[in-house]
Amino acid sequence: MLQNEVGKCISCGFCESVCPTLPAAGYDLWKGARGRVIMGHELLNAVREGREGNMDISDSFYSCLDCFACLQVCPAGVNAGVVSHLARSLIVGKKIKGNQNPYAEMIVAATMKYMNPLGIPASSDNWAEGLKFDQGSTDVLYTGKMYQLMAYTGGLNRVRDMAGDHVSKLMAGIIANHPSVIRMSASQRDRSFQKQLNNSLRNIVKLLQAAGNHFSYPGPMEPYPGTFLYDLGYLAEFEEYANRVYGFLKEYGAKRIITVDPHTYDLMKHTYPEFVDGFDLEVVFYADLLSGLNISKTDRTVVYHEPCHFVLREDSYSTPLELINRAADTVLAPRNGKRNRCCGGPDELIFPDLSDKVSQERYSELISTGASEIVTACPICLANLSKERKTRDMADLLAEASSL
Amino acid sequence: MAFLEELKSSVGDALIQKHEQKIPYETDASYFQGSEPMAVVIPETVHQVSLVMKLCQKYSVPVVVRGGGTSLTGSSIPLSGFLVISMARFDRILEVKPQDRYAIVEPGVRLDTLNEKLLQLRHFYPPDPASSMAATVGGSISTNAGGLRAATYGTTRNWVLGLEVVLPNGEVVNLGGKVLKRTAGYDLTAMFVGAEGTLGIITKAILKIWPIPETKGRILAYYKDIEKVGLAISSMKEKGITPEIAEFLDRITMNSLEKARGMHFPESALYMLIVDISSTRESLQRQLDDAVRVLRQFSPTDVTVTTDPAEMARIYEARKGAYASLLSERSSATERVVIGDIVVPASSLPMALRESEEKLKEDGVRAALFGHIADGNIHANIFADTGNEDQMKKVDRFQEDFGKIALKYGGSVSAEHGIGIEKKRLLRMEIDASGNPYVMDIMKTIRKSFDPAGIMNRGKMFD
Ligand SMILES: Cc1cc2nc3c(=O)[nH]c(=O)nc-3n(C[C@H](O)[C@H](O)[C@H](O)COP(=O)(O)OP(=O)(O)OC[C@H]3O[C@@H](n4cnc5c(N)ncnc54)[C@H](O)[C@@H]3O)c2cc1C
Ligand code: SF4
Ligand code: SF4
Repeated sequence: MLQNEVGKCISCGFCESVCPTLPAAGYDLWKGARGRVIMGHELLNAVREGREGNMDISDSFYSCLDCFACLQVCPAGVNAGVVSHLARSLIVGKKIKGNQNPYAEMIVAATMKYMNPLGIPASSDNWAEGLKFDQGSTDVLYTGKMYQLMAYTGGLNRVRDMAGDHVSKLMAGIIANHPSVIRMSASQRDRSFQKQLNNSLRNIVKLLQAAGNHFSYPGPMEPYPGTFLYDLGYLAEFEEYANRVYGFLKEYGAKRIITVDPHTYDLMKHTYPEFVDGFDLEVVFYADLLSGLNISKTDRTVVYHEPCHFVLREDSYSTPLELINRAADTVLAPRNGKRNRCCGGPDELIFPDLSDKVSQERYSELISTGASEIVTACPICLANLSKERKTRDMADLLAEASSL
Repeated sequence: MAFLEELKSSVGDALIQKHEQKIPYETDASYFQGSEPMAVVIPETVHQVSLVMKLCQKYSVPVVVRGGGTSLTGSSIPLSGFLVISMARFDRILEVKPQDRYAIVEPGVRLDTLNEKLLQLRHFYPPDPASSMAATVGGSISTNAGGLRAATYGTTRNWVLGLEVVLPNGEVVNLGGKVLKRTAGYDLTAMFVGAEGTLGIITKAILKIWPIPETKGRILAYYKDIEKVGLAISSMKEKGITPEIAEFLDRITMNSLEKARGMHFPESALYMLIVDISSTRESLQRQLDDAVRVLRQFSPTDVTVTTDPAEMARIYEARKGAYASLLSERSSATERVVIGDIVVPASSLPMALRESEEKLKEDGVRAALFGHIADGNIHANIFADTGNEDQMKKVDRFQEDFGKIALKYGGSVSAEHGIGIEKKRLLRMEIDASGNPYVMDIMKTIRKSFDPAGIMNRGKMFD
């Protein structure tokens, strides 16, 4: 598969011009789209010739955001994001010496043990306290813990910053072998951001209920969907994990799951069926269920940052934009739709500096529109774009405009 | 190694030495495989570029400058022992002054990025190679890039007013300036246009810009006979119609666009013309009618006209992606596309096109023909397994024959892609055919006067 993808490339360089990580990496080509395709080629050759253990190549692939901006402009239909994913899977599958990323290993170990990548205890997940659900309904709200996790990632990176690169890598290696150590990072959460995130989740529930939906919620024991396992190329682990999650949801009685972030939505809808035999859950995004909402327009102009998983995938998904537009005059960044620019979020745990540069660039572009606030539809985007200017989750805006 | 140590202390983080990180610099968009560079530098300031050049001069280290790496002739790849200097971090648009019709930009700015900025001021920079998304200002100046709009606006040569250049000895010089005309000694600015990084490093460019035409319409005309295509274009020009764009595509190219881009073309058509007419709102229809009238005189199988921006954009994007789309027409995965790039006077197009098709058959190579036909530019996109010696011999023979067709009609072996590694032999042929090989000596003398140590893109263009 990797051979097929890299074999189509004519090396025209078009993809480099839209790849967000290339300028963020100071134009070091191996951290740009064409560079990744070339490195994919190199990796295959190295494996064929048995010299893969002598290479140090994985940063090229792990730094990819999987945003798929490159695919939109490639005249030959190559997706450097997919190349990166296949290359990571090859590195992991073949356990290629010196190329295993210590942070990836750490995240995988923690996910397999705690059913979430940072080992956050269920006891600290109390966002739904006091909310009423229709327990027993086969429509199940599945947060996948993505909002909940975002309060912790910043803290983890602060620890990394303090420890320096070398010590952090050592620590990550230790955690990979002793996942319980990661729980220390749980104390590093950003409490005020956590409050904001919890509030957004509560707003999602209120919005769904105000629109006349009835659904149940499994509570703090709900597992994380395993996005990192898949994205980082740990496919065997992902397969096992996805079946666990599916088992959990089935046992809970789910027939239809209501997701609340684009990553979980995309993964459950498009990837789970490939890894879980007989996968039969209907997957929707909560915005799909809000048509009955009574929204009145506020008097502000907002700029909507579209999530890559909604606009840079084959089937563009525009329901969130339509809803936001009902709640406030909405503009888009100059690069929008199929030219969308990623917020840098997916690199947050593995390449925080790169992620920060990508998000800074996107943030500047968003505020250049002059809108008074940035609205996101993804907790990762929210975390990455929360800087000086007000940045809010769409659920908060919709709740305000629906007077909830 | 003393050179690398001194380089590191001069440029610090801007230096890449790790083997794996250097690999993507070994290739450009051509089929040539370069060597692993000794190192890669990505400088950020003119001062750094100057320091790097001083060191290269001191240690006689050969240098290749890299812009967008979209060269089709191998001009931006390193040969053995080269240092690569990437100009990517020179990515700022410094000043745009529509009232004086100029923009000052750094060489790493991509052409589409520049035009996006200019669009806000209702201006544009006309040179638009089909690679404009990735090609940079510095690279396109250095290859004298043409493109689709060259039919009306000419090539890059017409749009460069001034340059800041770091010479091979590290000296920083300013050539030309902000004014639209100047007759002050030799035109050294022009010398850098098409120089393929052999004379110095462009660190800033003052470019002429132009107001965007008020409106435009697009005509698609389909033909069965290749000579008629050439006649239609030269007849249009004879009648005083200058299309902003006139692109020619053959059936193989049309098939590839159908497969790769979901386009649909009439089955009976063997050749196609895309003709853009730009005008004022008041006179657009009349001018489109005039052009259609001429196109119809040469028995087209079909002619359609659109002024719908979305439809026009779709066709334009498809044409820009034509080269890549040809991949779908390869007969095996190891085949690459080798490009012939000749130009003839428009009135010779009918003969040149027919003879090109004949030579393809005679030399036993398979190629798709398309090109920026309004200025007489024909591209032969030759399918070849570049690792197969026999096939490459045939390709070389065809390239020579194709070049000879150009020279026979007073044209050139290289219209817009430059010489690089690929067309060195053809350049020699063109100069020899001019009847005065002394021209090559002049070129060598010029190169030497800028670069006495012979370190700039050594082995490219000519030896
Ligand atoms: C799909 C595709 C379509 C194309 N279509 C066209 C077309 O329609 N018309 C056309 O004319 N060309 C076309 N090209 C060729 C190519 O895009 C042009 O030659 C382009 O102008 C090169 O720009 P670049 O920035 O990529 O330069 P590079 O490839 O990086 O470099 C080209 C040359 O310029 C030199 N150089 C680069 N920057 C500097 C600098 N700052 N100072 C000094 N020297 C420098 C390099 O050393 C090299 O010799 C096409 C290429 C592709 C891949
Ligand atoms: S745009 Fe596509 S064909 Fe061009 S270099 Fe990138 S992957 Fe290769
Ligand atoms: S998926 Fe995004 S980050 Fe990855 S190579 Fe493509 S454009 Fe770059």
